[in-house]
Amino acid sequence: MVRVIRTSLYAAALGALALPAIAQDTPTLTVYTYDAFAADWGPGPALKEGFEAQCGCTLDFVSAEDSISALRRVQLEAETTRADIVLGLDTATIGEGMATGLFVEHGLDLPAFDIPLDWTDEVFVPFDYGYFAFVYDTETLATPPASFEDLIALPDDFKVVIQDPRSSTPGLGLILWIKALYGDGASDIWQGLAPHVLTVTSGWSESYDLFLSGEADMVLSYTTSPAYHVIAEDEDRYQAAKFTQGHYTQIEVAGILAASPDQELAREFLAYLVSPQAQAVIPETNWMYPVTEPEGGLNPGFDAMIDPQPALLLDAEAVTANTRAWIDEAFAALQ
Amino acid sequence: MTAGSLLAWRPGRLLTGIAIALAIAVLIVSLLATLWIAGQRFPTTGSNVADIGHLVRMSAIQAGISTVLSIATGIAIAWTIDRLRFPGRALVIGLLSTALVLPALVVVSGLVGIWGRNGWANAVLGLFGQSTGGSIFGLGGIIAAHVILNGAFAGRIFIDRLAAIPPEKLKLGRSLGLSAGRRFAVIDAPALASSIPGLAATIFLLCFTSFPIVLTLGGGPANQTLEVAIYQSVRLDFDLGAAVKLALVQLLVCAAIIIPATTLSPAATLFGRRTQIVWPERRAVSLMQAGLLALLLIGFIAPLAVVLMRGLGPAMGSLLSQPAFWRATGTSLAIGTLSALLALALALGLAMARAMMAGNRPARAALGLPVFTYLAVPAVVLSLGFFLLARFLGIPTAMAAPVVLVIANALLALPFVFAALAPPLEALLNRHARLIRALGLSSLTQWRRIEWPLLGQPLGYALAVAFVFSLGDLGVISLFGTSEFSTLPWMMYRAFGAYRTNDAEAIAAVLLILSVTAFVGIPKLFEKLTHA
Repeated sequence: MVRVIRTSLYAAALGALALPAIAQDTPTLTVYTYDAFAADWGPGPALKEGFEAQCGCTLDFVSAEDSISALRRVQLEAETTRADIVLGLDTATIGEGMATGLFVEHGLDLPAFDIPLDWTDEVFVPFDYGYFAFVYDTETLATPPASFEDLIALPDDFKVVIQDPRSSTPGLGLILWIKALYGDGASDIWQGLAPHVLTVTSGWSESYDLFLSGEADMVLSYTTSPAYHVIAEDEDRYQAAKFTQGHYTQIEVAGILAASPDQELAREFLAYLVSPQAQAVIPETNWMYPVTEPEGGLNPGFDAMIDPQPALLLDAEAVTANTRAWIDEAFAALQ
Repeated sequence: MTAGSLLAWRPGRLLTGIAIALAIAVLIVSLLATLWIAGQRFPTTGSNVADIGHLVRMSAIQAGISTVLSIATGIAIAWTIDRLRFPGRALVIGLLSTALVLPALVVVSGLVGIWGRNGWANAVLGLFGQSTGGSIFGLGGIIAAHVILNGAFAGRIFIDRLAAIPPEKLKLGRSLGLSAGRRFAVIDAPALASSIPGLAATIFLLCFTSFPIVLTLGGGPANQTLEVAIYQSVRLDFDLGAAVKLALVQLLVCAAIIIPATTLSPAATLFGRRTQIVWPERRAVSLMQAGLLALLLIGFIAPLAVVLMRGLGPAMGSLLSQPAFWRATGTSLAIGTLSALLALALALGLAMARAMMAGNRPARAALGLPVFTYLAVPAVVLSLGFFLLARFLGIPTAMAAPVVLVIANALLALPFVFAALAPPLEALLNRHARLIRALGLSSLTQWRRIEWPLLGQPLGYALAVAFVFSLGDLGVISLFGTSEFSTLPWMMYRAFGAYRTNDAEAIAAVLLILSVTAFVGIPKLFEKLTHA
């Protein structure tokens, strides 16, 4: 029996060896990204089709579990990496990216971005953005809290479900959101939140599933989450709770690796990524706001989203330097 | 003279077992070593994992309680189902270990669907103006989930052990008119004993390292495991050296459980043909068993029913029409089949060698240890290790992915396969040792005439466990670049992540149906094959 398995493994390996021999003559651009971006339901397939139609090249998305893992993979592969671009780091993880010293300035003349701050970064190019928010069900909650203080003042059986900042983007977002608003008082807010936290899940999916099954009154997610339900399911019962003091911003970015042999092609892709054509793909596959006016305009389903102003954002260097301490602070208060 | 020394001396079998044990040890050491070496290359801010002692203590307490309760529950389940005959019994047995192998997200979702504040239990109690009161989130919820998952698995293994009690023993017991208590102590307990240490070790490891369940039901950072800390040092801090150190701590703690379990495990003695003898208990005891059965159905089967009901909606139709779904199904089935065969071969090799070592405790431990090692290494460390190892060997990562997945799944399933297979194999060999010696059977003839025909049921179940494990797991190749390569659980997680809850629930239902089919079908198939 062992021999049978070995033979089939060899067969599988040999079969796979035959694949990459194809398309040697056209250049290949390899983009490392997070799984949801590259997968069937994400923006990946449409972007691949769109870019390949104009570049005369092959665009390869290689996905890791999340964007940090994609970055770690490049670090591990060091000089032998196939990656030209890492796509999907965000405002909370840009600092980690810079610290690796693996990226180069894009040198592009970028369009004016329609994002909530002046973008001056010479290395990373933003391709979508959104805001963290608590999402609730209007059929079970008439008036949602309008601030963290409101939320804390609710009875203890009012439950929210949040995510682990060490493994989830929104989870980290909440740490930064509370830090941006309360600074040294963040610990008090976390202590106040503690009785309301139903649980802290490792990923966003687990939280959102608990919320949809009615286990929690609110879930930590994005202001744009309701757009999915409106546009894809024609369902308007889910809304984001507007916090009057503002919502924390997440801007997702892509950057070119110094090791990329074809910098020109990499630049071409980044320019494409912020073009009206590519920006038209992103909102309804990644459920985030486009950074420039998309071709054909933004789906009106997004109009019903709350206005998250004032948009909050902490300095990237401060975030990188203090993230661990802030997570410890939050956990200490939650326990 | 010990029973072991009666066995025919088979150097070939012993060498195969030793070779497998060594191969697994070498693999684990290489995975950790590559990671350690790679860790030296990267500057790190230093991972400062607070209070490892506390984490270990918390995890050990939780896992200890979960294990004891799981084994006790498993015995109660086996005791009940062994005695009762009712329509749908085969299906209930088939469902028993299904939850163990489903993705954690599905299991938690099913549990919360019953016991959550919006679950069925509260809906029913609500009719009478009552509620379940407590919350499923917290230490209680974690332990409940672990007991439901592992208790059912233990019950499934124990049912087979009870079913294999030789009929003459039962006849004798009945003619002596043993009371229910005496009957359990004299006839059942010895049959179960040889399976308990291995099972307990497996369950402890599973609960000790359980990451998604602990996090999701944990109710906050108070309930954490070492595995979460390791995840942090890898992902956030990229401190690979620290990750290896923490993994070693986890290995050491686990070894403290595994070594006694594998060394002390008594040699199994009871083994007979599947018996048709039904020896019901007295009325009062039978009523109690019926009550237990009802509890069992509510506790163990209802969460699965939730998963099934949610999944069998309109989304199922659209799912079945997606080519991506069929590709993922094909990949899952292929990987499941290959890993299951590999796991079975490894478990057989180790179990056959170990059976010859009945009196030799160090040898038993050496052959038993590799079975559990893989389970004791955190998934994120394995994932990185495999990735680095593939690169070190010069295998392109995308190509290595399916091979790694097959090996990883086979090793992950190994303790479960071993728990199902090793005790009956050993019992069978002890029972027939004299016969095998007297007839001077060769190793191959021994397999064809004695082991294969008599082990049909456990072989079938072991294969089913391994197969379904591989259908349900995906943890280890997160770095391998997999957008082209998808399995059913992967597709399910992606659907959840893309807000497509209905699609995800439909896939969960498909996974459940596949698992139950495998658990009912594969053992039946093996019974047919071996009796042919």
